[in-house]
Amino acid sequence: MIKFFIRISSFLGKELTEIFRQPKLILTLVLGPFLIMSLFGLAYPDQSRTLRTTFVSANPDTFQNQMALFTESYSSTVVDQGIETDKDLALSRLALNETDLVIIIPDAPFETIQNNQQAELEVYHNEVDPFQIGYIQTIASIYVNEVNRRLLQTVTEQGQADSGSLQSNLETAIEKTQALRQAMPPGDANTEQVAEIENDLTGLNENLTMFRSLASGILVNPFGVKTSGISGIQFTVTGFFAPAVIVLLLQHLSITFAALSIVRESRSGIMELFRVAPITAFETLLGKYLSYLFLEVILAGVITWLAVSLLKIPILGNGQDYALAVFILLFTSLGVGFFISLISETDTQAVQYSMLLLLASIFFSGFFLDLRLMREPVTILAWSLPATYGIRMLQDVMLRGASVSPTLFQGIALIGLGFLVVDWLLLKRKMDS
Amino acid sequence: MKNDKTAENVVETQDLTKSFGTDVAVQSLSMYVPRGKIFGFIGPSGCGKTTTVRMLTGYYRPTSGTLSVLGKDPAAFSKSDQGKIGYLIQQFVLYPDLTVWENLNFAASFYGVTPFRRGRLNKLLDFVELSEHRNKLARDLSGGMKRRLSLAATMVHNPELLFLDEPTAGIDPILRRKFWDYFKKLQEQGHTLFVTTQYVGEAAYCDLVGVMYEGRLLMIATPEGLRKKAYGGDVVGIKTTEGMSFEQRHQLAALPFVHGKVKVIDAQENDVIVDEASAAIPTLMEWCQAQKLNVETIEEKSPPFDDVFVKIIEMEAAHD
Repeated sequence: MIKFFIRISSFLGKELTEIFRQPKLILTLVLGPFLIMSLFGLAYPDQSRTLRTTFVSANPDTFQNQMALFTESYSSTVVDQGIETDKDLALSRLALNETDLVIIIPDAPFETIQNNQQAELEVYHNEVDPFQIGYIQTIASIYVNEVNRRLLQTVTEQGQADSGSLQSNLETAIEKTQALRQAMPPGDANTEQVAEIENDLTGLNENLTMFRSLASGILVNPFGVKTSGISGIQFTVTGFFAPAVIVLLLQHLSITFAALSIVRESRSGIMELFRVAPITAFETLLGKYLSYLFLEVILAGVITWLAVSLLKIPILGNGQDYALAVFILLFTSLGVGFFISLISETDTQAVQYSMLLLLASIFFSGFFLDLRLMREPVTILAWSLPATYGIRMLQDVMLRGASVSPTLFQGIALIGLGFLVVDWLLLKRKMDS
Repeated sequence: MKNDKTAENVVETQDLTKSFGTDVAVQSLSMYVPRGKIFGFIGPSGCGKTTTVRMLTGYYRPTSGTLSVLGKDPAAFSKSDQGKIGYLIQQFVLYPDLTVWENLNFAASFYGVTPFRRGRLNKLLDFVELSEHRNKLARDLSGGMKRRLSLAATMVHNPELLFLDEPTAGIDPILRRKFWDYFKKLQEQGHTLFVTTQYVGEAAYCDLVGVMYEGRLLMIATPEGLRKKAYGGDVVGIKTTEGMSFEQRHQLAALPFVHGKVKVIDAQENDVIVDEASAAIPTLMEWCQAQKLNVETIEEKSPPFDDVFVKIIEMEAAHD
């Protein structure tokens, strides 16, 4: 039993010494991820993209004020580049990337509406990125809603003003109806009908009073919306992406380390010695797991400390949950890395597989795209990646202050244990064959 | 071709064959390696030496035949059995980014040597004369130093039986000689050594030599026995002041204890093959006197092992 531990310890010392002997590598491993996160934070300000917008109208004077009001209201997303009268000129500016959006206002919108038809605004862009196109469509929709709202508000205000004389007439009518009812002899068959008319007129008057007393903005836009996260914290772009970036970096480090480990030894020829020496595949694998886990736990600690203390990334949950999530992520990623190492013939092949896995993780782990948007069969691939679990677990712990979800933990642990068994069998076959 | 079987053999093989697809790397190899000896396994590159070592260490399973190393089939080795074997691989397989000491320490842990091993490791470094370089990175060592470090790592768990695959390949003759001094010392300490080499001349340092060629073991003998077998007896060189006539050479070859033809080295010098040099030399002296030949020198010759090897190969070709 003592020899078992001595043999395992051989890898612990060897792997750590080899890595710590390369100060540049350590520096890259610790500072590299931190710098990437910092740059990421600097690169993406916490605001939406502003769109340089050019309006086109045959009657610019008519719409000047409305356009100005609109761009003022949405100054964070729209920069007014003025009103053009020439549509082709505006579109050529769009093609030259001198403007981001061209909105064509129809020639006679009010006449069109009066003819019981929708007046259509045309919005042109020069984007190819589906996400940016989606963003522009949202902005255009907001713009049209805003125009409709303003139009309705103007109409409402006009209606409220016009209803003043109507109400006066209504009050006179109520008074006359009252007088008529009182003048009618008792038992007159029409008394009841007159009372009903009086009631109707009174109700109408009350509604009219309410219509006139409410602000036009409330009448047109009776419901507002206020969204709040239950954590009570408004996250920056960096803050939101920090858990995912940490997960991707740790997964990639683990996979790359492990992927190069066994394949390098197979190439060097020392595997031949392992095969005839009194060391088993399990001892070899366990020794390697422990050494890399030890190293990467330290690296994860340093990266987390830098992120929290220098980039001010919050961890709302408790440290134990964070540590548990990171540990299981590292364990599973190492399993994947050793698997790559065992199926690769060369270092280059191992690096290529690792890079492919990184790419797959970026696209399918929910790093950029929400998993709920994925088609069902692809989610199987997504949920076979350690990063998918890691990102969710760290987001829960760091951003929501929640504990590690048992389902997520069990899922990733199962994958990790699965890879441990498969790696052991593959290494055993390599050492026995 | 096989040597004699004794009770104290640490390696025994019978008709050992290893094929890779249709290529036969080792064919019907039968041999015995006695305990405490240096067994030299000699042959050109690609003749099957490493394949044989790999079968003996358990790295390869033989295609057919039987083998026993330390009394067991290597395929059935326990950890304890594996711990009795040291294996020096042909190329340097230790870690270039570790120091000499760290590599040795790794090897020691790897073989499960107790943590209280500093003294033993120091002795090993002294043995291979690397103590002064203990803190040097392996990648900064010369080729010879790397081989010595590998040898020390092979010895770290004090194995009974050492398989050294081409330990002297690619290093200078002086260092090669030094390696054989190490091997002799290891033998004196009670280790059995199975050493492969393509340097035929190194056969002289071995107790027993096996000659491999194209996957076949052509011969096993002591170095002297090898010469004898190669030439059909001892070689005796006769140098006379006068040249030997054709008739005299013919008569010399006809002597009952002389085998084959007389080999003419030059006008004065001729070589003959005899059963036993010590017995033949006085008779040859008498024959020279009877022939009125003035003998300058008459002595037993030790042909270089390169020649011995070539001779053995020629015999094998003739046999085929």
